[in-house]
Amino acid sequence: MLGKCFFVIVVLSLVFALATGNISSLAGAAIDGAARAVEIVISLVGMMSLWCGIMNVLKESGIIEKLSRCLSPLLRFIFPNAFKSGLAKEEITFAVSANLLGIGNAATPFALSAMKKMDDASKSPFATDDMVMLTVLACSPFNILPTTLIALRRAAGSASPYRIIVPVWICSGVCAAMSVIFCRAFAAASRRGKTRRQSVAAPKADMPRAPLRAEGSALARETRR
Amino acid sequence: MTDFISSLIIPLILLCAAFLLAKGRGGYFDAFTKGAFDGLKTTVNLIPTMVLLMTALSMLTASGATELISKYISPVCEKIGVPAEIVPLILTRPVSGSAANASFAALLDSCGADSFAAFAASVIMGSSDTVIYIISVYFSGAPHVKRTRHAVPVSVAVMLFCIFFSCYVARKFIG
Repeated sequence: MLGKCFFVIVVLSLVFALATGNISSLAGAAIDGAARAVEIVISLVGMMSLWCGIMNVLKESGIIEKLSRCLSPLLRFIFPNAFKSGLAKEEITFAVSANLLGIGNAATPFALSAMKKMDDASKSPFATDDMVMLTVLACSPFNILPTTLIALRRAAGSASPYRIIVPVWICSGVCAAMSVIFCRAFAAASRRGKTRRQSVAAPKADMPRAPLRAEGSALARETRR
Repeated sequence: MTDFISSLIIPLILLCAAFLLAKGRGGYFDAFTKGAFDGLKTTVNLIPTMVLLMTALSMLTASGATELISKYISPVCEKIGVPAEIVPLILTRPVSGSAANASFAALLDSCGADSFAAFAASVIMGSSDTVIYIISVYFSGAPHVKRTRHAVPVSVAVMLFCIFFSCYVARKFIG
């Protein structure tokens, strides 16, 4: 994938350089780019190892576990099926909390095992609602502290590298909420379509699903308890 | 006010970590060093990809292609409130994290770290993720699934919305 990207970009720049007569600056630019990449990564090293170290301390001290427990009412709303059946519940909680803290790399193993469990349970060629929700949420996580960005901005000489934190909260929060709303809307629409189809064809009990309204009341009952 | 909160959050997290390190009788210190070393390894592992992509992007800029492309795209972009300089970032963001970091760093270099384009790009980087990469990795964990249903349309739609919304929020904060 990246190899193809590189190929396309190099061919493009050669063609453009020949067309615009900038060919003399091309070799120098290539060398400068490579040097700049190492410079940038070196400027990231300090912040990244500090942050990963602190994250590990928070993990060992059990704070992340407590946070995931605080999140579970919210997750119960987002993943109604997983929380009703208890299937892959822990993995989902950990994956979402890790994404929330901006450690997406730590979220991946949990998310993969959650996907595997849900897949083994459904054995269907169609992704379940919870699988899609987990994936889409990972694609637009709420970002508490964009550490890499702050380090990159600081390295580029910004006067206020931290200034992006509040705008990032607003924007990532709104985007995460939109992901949840869109996913629920799509899931509800496809469920309605399926019940209509199933009233014609023979009903198949591969994916037990309650209609949305019944689910909502079950949810309300459970939270009241 | 928001700038105050922004500059307070890192010291607060450090205070919390320092408290744990002081309390934990040595055990948490090992946890810190282990995590920090993992972070170091992750960051150094970025170098090969970053070198390849920064070289390519630097060549593209030097060849005059970026300038020419953004000259054609910019009227459209300006109309919808997105700075044209962000276009390379938007193209790399869904595919690869290190490629996006490379285009982000290149953008900070060329536009200045405190320009509006850099600020909007920062917000986009902070609130979107590598959509295509994540979907392919996550569904590789579910071998039975052949149809991902609404996963791709929803995440791409949210990503597009994120780009406009980031520029809008950035304008509110900087304008």
